[in-house]
Parts: sequence; structure tokens; C-alpha cells
Amino acid sequence: MTASLTRRRIRIINQICWTLALCIVAIPFVFPFLWMVSSGFKSAAEIFGSPSLVPREWQWQNFIDVFKHQPFARQYLNSLYIAVTVTALTLLVSSLAGYALARMRFAGAALVALFLVSALMVPEEVTIIPNFFMMRWAGLVDTHWPLILLPTFGPQGIMATFLMRQYFLALPKELEDAGKMDGLSRLGVWWSIALPMSRPALAAVAIITFLNSWNLFLEPLIFVSSLDKFTLPLALSNFTDPYGMPLWHLQLAATSLAVIPILVVYIIAQRQIIESFALSGVKG
Amino acid sequence: MTSLSLNNVKKHFGRTEVIRGVDLSVDDGEFVVFVGPSGCGKSTLLRMISGLEDISSGVLKIGNRVVNETPPARRGVAMVFQSYALYPHLNVRDNMGFGLKVRKVPIDERARRVMEAARTLKLEPLLDRFPRELSGGQRQRVAIGRAIVGDPEVFLFDEPLSNLDAELRVHMRSEIASLHKRLGSTMIYVTHDQIEAMTLADKIVVLRDGLVEQVGTPRELYERPGNLFVAQFIGSPKMNILPVGSVAKALPVRPDSAAHVGMRPEDLKLTDPGSGLVSGKVLLSEYTGASSLLHVELPDGEIFLVAYDGPTIDADTTLGLTIAPDRLHFFDSAGQRAS
Amino acid sequence: MAGALPIRDTARREDAPWLTLKMREAMESWLFISPTLAGFLIFFVGPLIAVVWYSLTEWNLLTQQATFVGLDNYSDALFRNPDFWHVIRNSVIFAIGLVPLNMALALSLALALSGRFAGVVIFRTVFFAPVVTSAVAWAIVWKFLLQGEAGFINQMLASIGIDGPNWLREPNWAMAAVIVTRVIKMVGLNMILYIAALQAIPRDYAAAARLEGASGWQIFRWIIWPLLGPTTLVIMVITTIGSFKVFDHIYQMTGGGPENGTLVLAFYIYQQGFQFFDVGYASALAMIMFVVVMMLTIFQLVLRRRDT
Repeated sequence: MTASLTRRRIRIINQICWTLALCIVAIPFVFPFLWMVSSGFKSAAEIFGSPSLVPREWQWQNFIDVFKHQPFARQYLNSLYIAVTVTALTLLVSSLAGYALARMRFAGAALVALFLVSALMVPEEVTIIPNFFMMRWAGLVDTHWPLILLPTFGPQGIMATFLMRQYFLALPKELEDAGKMDGLSRLGVWWSIALPMSRPALAAVAIITFLNSWNLFLEPLIFVSSLDKFTLPLALSNFTDPYGMPLWHLQLAATSLAVIPILVVYIIAQRQIIESFALSGVKG
Repeated sequence: MTSLSLNNVKKHFGRTEVIRGVDLSVDDGEFVVFVGPSGCGKSTLLRMISGLEDISSGVLKIGNRVVNETPPARRGVAMVFQSYALYPHLNVRDNMGFGLKVRKVPIDERARRVMEAARTLKLEPLLDRFPRELSGGQRQRVAIGRAIVGDPEVFLFDEPLSNLDAELRVHMRSEIASLHKRLGSTMIYVTHDQIEAMTLADKIVVLRDGLVEQVGTPRELYERPGNLFVAQFIGSPKMNILPVGSVAKALPVRPDSAAHVGMRPEDLKLTDPGSGLVSGKVLLSEYTGASSLLHVELPDGEIFLVAYDGPTIDADTTLGLTIAPDRLHFFDSAGQRAS
Repeated sequence: MAGALPIRDTARREDAPWLTLKMREAMESWLFISPTLAGFLIFFVGPLIAVVWYSLTEWNLLTQQATFVGLDNYSDALFRNPDFWHVIRNSVIFAIGLVPLNMALALSLALALSGRFAGVVIFRTVFFAPVVTSAVAWAIVWKFLLQGEAGFINQMLASIGIDGPNWLREPNWAMAAVIVTRVIKMVGLNMILYIAALQAIPRDYAAAARLEGASGWQIFRWIIWPLLGPTTLVIMVITTIGSFKVFDHIYQMTGGGPENGTLVLAFYIYQQGFQFFDVGYASALAMIMFVVVMMLTIFQLVLRRRDT
């Protein structure tokens, strides 16, 4: 009786120690977000003045000035519609190709898969120079086309293809056979049987693709030069005074505006989102 | 009418031949069962008939049409799968009507035919349920219902009862039999269970290694197995086989070419040791309720199975075995039936 | 039969009856895969061939056109341009600093968080949060925290009597800062992979070892760690490759400075290609990066094959 009591007590103390340790480790993970938001509310004068998490005076004006300094609303919208477009395109293209690689028999399938896998190994920095000249030749520099096409068909899209393929392979094949017996074409089987059963994989692809596009930096930096075509990651560092020094209060207000919605969605759907990354990480 | 014929049909995956030239004709309204050990190609053959696997060579005719290159849905066949393959995201009604919807059958016609099939299979109370809410037997019936709705000329069953427990299996077996009687359609049925084969079939096709071993009625296969493989595959417990030489003296008559003699356990009778065809010592007596199965060791070490109905016999008892001469099966040295 | 609607009547007409089922399947497969394949050829294979060609040419703002110069760009990088080896040194330091730190932290967190106790989900959510955050945003905030005199970190240090360095203005401190902040940003991903691997290990193993009297450390050292081997290998290679590709983080935090102290390979390629427009030289650098990453990947595949 007493033995089990002390054992239980040890376990509880153990638990508390661990939790405390984890809380300390968590500081550098959480604090930057808190400091970002808090500083976004501080005035230019206060921002370096006080090391207090609560602003002396809540400077709501910052969040209005953010939109006056540059076409931030437009840039926000750019990021949003580009990410949505890339996600939709990637879902379509990768699930089609993934289905063919998983389910259909054709000469050269293994070779195609091998070729595509090889692209996963190559960083986009390697091909970005020729891609730039190709886009310039096609007149697509300073448009959003490269920001849509390159992620959709680049390593990201191919990764999605293999994720989908892996998932399709695990689906019961007889259901698709039943679809064929019922008179569905290949496209019909893909659309009305394989896809509805693949929601977890589709969700994983959608989440990762969206975040990747939303956070994309190198491509916008290279391909886009007009302010009103900027995406968020480009726009964020563009809150500077005429001498190029950062206007921290605006920069952090804007960064908060860019980061908070993603964080909110992440916290609501953290389980699904973390699982998606685990799924893609294991395959990659 | 809807007969079906296979003419030297072959299938290979890469280098390996899985179906090595099958000839078969199925009459209209016939219930044909493919049996064989696993890996014999029976399911592949069925899938070739359905169109889910392409045919490497040979000719497949359904009715008068050569359908080798016809897509599955246009062959006039319907299939019941081993896993039932019900669409998890559709309820029973939509599962059954899906094929009609794909074929653009008008909605009221669709509803009428689903209802008709549901009535036949007593599925009406389940129409709005989803597959996950059904028991195994109910799923099985929905799978059959889906096949009926399309009003196919030929039904294909791919081991449809293997996922059910023993009791349900017996029940569904009789339902399928009565369904066949009622619809009168041609049915092809794959199973590895010889009881299913014997009870359901008008005609059994025994397959091994991608080749047809024998085609015949259940009675023909049991009473006149065409070769050693079929002799031992059909019937349970297995037929006992001996080299003719070891019992030659005791055999009344035998064909000249006979090399092996087969005796079914249920045909053997007990006699005194020394008399009868062979003698041996009882190793083990398995009481199964209706009868006992004796494992009898012959002098040369062979084990004979004997179905026996009578008072208990202890192990180590020595006894003789005899059999009616017309119950003997003779096979030549190539394993073919000798007569 | 009553009510019979023969299927052929309702089925669509037989289109293209000359096609065999096999040809039909092959054709459909290629159609399914064609968007991916076309994109792959246009945006990957083509550029990959082009970058090889570019790397063999002299092509910059002065020449305005490509002239074939053989392997000059490569020998420039490898033998003549001292920047190149400086950049490689930076990249290697970055990798050597980042990979062990990241993996050790990821594994520790995973071990702490692979069980089930109150708060485990909250902690996982917290440690993973920077992964979903944009690298640019993360870098901006840390750059702000690490400002010289007035930055939050240095103010905190000052309050306990430490005179903190001007983190991002001194080459060694800048490199350390970039590494540590990058680890904090990305460690959640490896943590998740480790947690998945830990949860895939049957509990019976540890239970059996415990019955035989093994301590917690012994269980980890002799059972858990060997079973994590394949995962560790994959994580190591992915993280190393990732560290060679890092760009946005450094671009935002230090811009490659100070005194090129954080100028790493990916950044150097960008600088040469898109700031100095030395296309030939930048392409040669890209090829070198390609070879390095390829070698790492093959190394991983070989090790993995040997494992199984």
C-alpha cells in the first residue's frame, strides 16, 4: 500500500520535472511568436525601448500603416490565390500520375517512375538559372506563372505524385474492378472510386503544397519585381525607410498578419497537419 | 442464347504462363464451377472472362460475339467479388444502382430495378444503410444484388463465400443455388471448396497449373475421376491410392494398363485380418460423430483412410479391408484413368 | 426474361473497336501521366541539360552572349577563386553545426514526447509550429531579437550583467546564430519522424528487456537506438541535403554577411547568377551542388540497401 503510494508519488514528481524541462526548452519555440505580435503593436519609439511583452500603448495604427506603406492587401491576395492555384493543380496532376503509376500496366512504367524519382534528389537551385531564361524567353518574368508552374511540376509536385501512388497502392483493388464492371472508364474509376477513398492522402498533399507555396521565397525573389506582384515572403522584408533600414514596427505587424492565420489553422488542425508531414517525410 | 466458349485461351505475365491453353464451352443457363488448388489459375481465368485481365491469346466468345477486346462493362457479364467490393461512400441503394447510373439508365427505371433486386434478395430494409453498417452476409447479398440489377447474361462469382463463417456459408450457398434456379442465367463460380463445387455445379472444371484436368458433372468427377489428380482432389477424405503390384493377387479384375488403384475411404468395408484386399493395423481412430475415420497402416507403411460406422475400434487392432469391385478406380502409369 | 434491358442497348457505342484492351490501357496510362511528364521534361530535364551547357560557357553582363570555354568555370571555382572554398567551408561548417544539433534535439524531444501523458499534444504542437511558419517570417523575428545593443536577447543578457555580442555583425557569432535559429525552425520535422519511428517499435521489446532487469538507458542504448538505425540514416541525409539548400533563412537574417561569414553555396549561386549575372560561373556552381547532393543521396541508398 505505502510502497505503491510512494511509487505513484515518484511518478508524479517525475512527470512534473519533465514537464518543467520541456517548458524551458519550449521558450525559444514560442517566445518569437509572442514577441513578434507584441512588437507589432508597439510604436517605433517603444519598440527598442522596453523589454516588456505588453506594449505601453497598443499601436493599432501599425496595422493600418502596413497597408499604406505598400500594396500589402494586393500582395496578401497574390499569395493566397497562387497557393490555392498551385494546390489545386498539384492535386489534379499528381493524383492522375500517381494513379497511373500505381494501378495501370504499361511498358515503361518502371522507367518513368525512376526518372521522376531522380528529380526528387535535385535541389531547385540547380535548375533555377535555365528556368529563369526560359521564363524570360516566354515573357513570363514578373508574372505569377513561374510561381505556379515551377512548384506544381518541380520536386514538390513529384513528391506529391509518389505520395499519391503509395496511397493508391494500398487501396483495395477489387473496388476499382467493381467500378470497371459497372462500366466506369479509367478516368471514371479514378474520379469516383480511387479519389473519394484517398482523402487522407489528398489532404496531406494539399496541406504541404499550400504551405510550401505560401512560404516560397527563392522563386518570387527571382521572377517578380513589381511591388503589386509581390507575394508575402517578399513583401515582409520590404517595410524599410528610404535609406533601406527596416521599419521594425511595421515589419513585425505585417509578419504577424502573415503568420497568425496560418498558425490558427495549424492549431485547429495540428493533428492532421503534423501527420501529413510525417507521411511525406517517411516517403521522401 | 448466352453460351460461352473459350478456345485455346492463354495468359502470361511477362515470361510466366499462368493459363496454358484452356478449351471450354458453357451452355446457356449452366452453372459452372472452377475448382483447383490455390495458384491453379482459376481466378485469373474468371477475370479474363470478365475483361479485368486481358487475354494473351486464344478466343473468348460470349453468345456469338468474340469479346477478347471488349471492355468489361460491355461484355454483358456481372461479377461478385470475394471482398464484395461495395463502395464505402455509397449506401446500399446507390451501390446497387451505380452501374445503371454509369450506363445512363433513366432514374425511374433505375429505382424500379433496384427495388426489384432488393425484393428478390430481401434487402429492402437495408437500402439506406452504408456497407460498414452491414453484416458479412448482408454485404454478400448486396454484392449479389448489384450483379442482378444490371441484368447480365452471365454471372461471375470469385470465391464469394470465402469470407463468411461456416454456417452463413451453407446458407448463402443455398441462396445462390435458388437464385440460379429462379434467374436461369449462365453462372461461372470460382471456389477452392469442393463441397461448394459439388453442391452448386451443373458442371465442374478442375484446374491445375493453368490447365484443365477434367470437366464433368459432380457425379462424373466423383465416380469416374479422369486422372489421379482429380481422384484425390474431389472427395473428402482423400481417395487412397496404391500401386497395383502390391495388391495384384487380391484384385478380381483389372485393366491391362493399370498401374495404380484407388479406393475411396467411404467405399471400404472392414473384414477379418487376412481376408479382403489388404490388411493393416489401426493407428488412430478419429470419431467425428456421424462416423469414425480410421488411419490404418498397411504392412509396407502406407496409411489408408477408412470411413467407418460402427462400434469403437481401439488402436493397434489388426483388420482386413475389402471393397466392391465396381468401386475400384484404376489409373495407368501416366496417371490417366485406365479402363 | 421479364424487364430485361440487355446491357448492350444501354451501353455507349463501341468506340475505337480496333484497340486491344492492352493498347487501350497503355494509351490511358500515358494520358494520365502526360501532364506530370511534360512538366518534368520542360521544367526539369531541359533545364538540367541547359545548366550543363551554360556551365561550359562564358556568359555574363559583359559578354552578353554565351561563348564556349570548356571547363574554365569549374577550374575558376576550384583553383582560382578563393571565394569558392570560403563558401564551401561555410556550407560545411553550417552542416556540421546544424545536423548533429538538430538530430540530437529531435531525438531527445521525440523520446520525451513519444509516450502518452497530459500535455504531450500541446508540446508536439509547440515544437512543430516553426515548421509551418515561413522561413522569412521566422528569420525576420529572430533578426529583430538578435539586434546589437537594443535587441531583446542582449537586453536580457545585460540585465544579468553579460555584455552580449552584436550577434549578426560578427562572422562567427552570425554563423552560430543562423545555425541555432535554423535548428529551432526545422527540428520539429525530424522530431515527428522520430516519434513515428518510436511508436512503430513494439512495446513488448522494452517490456521484455525491463523484465530482464535492463535500465532505461540500457534499453535505449541496446534496443531502441539500433531499431531507430534506418530512420536515423534517412533523417541524417535529408537534414544534410536540406542544410546545403538553405537560402531564404540566410538571405533574410544576414544577407550572407558579415564579411561573407555566412555565405553558403545556395546563396552564392543566387548571388553569382542573379546579382552579378555571371551565368556561366553560377551554372558551374549549380552543377557542383548537384553532384554533392547526388553523392549524398547515393550514399544513403547504398547504406540503406546494405541494411536490408
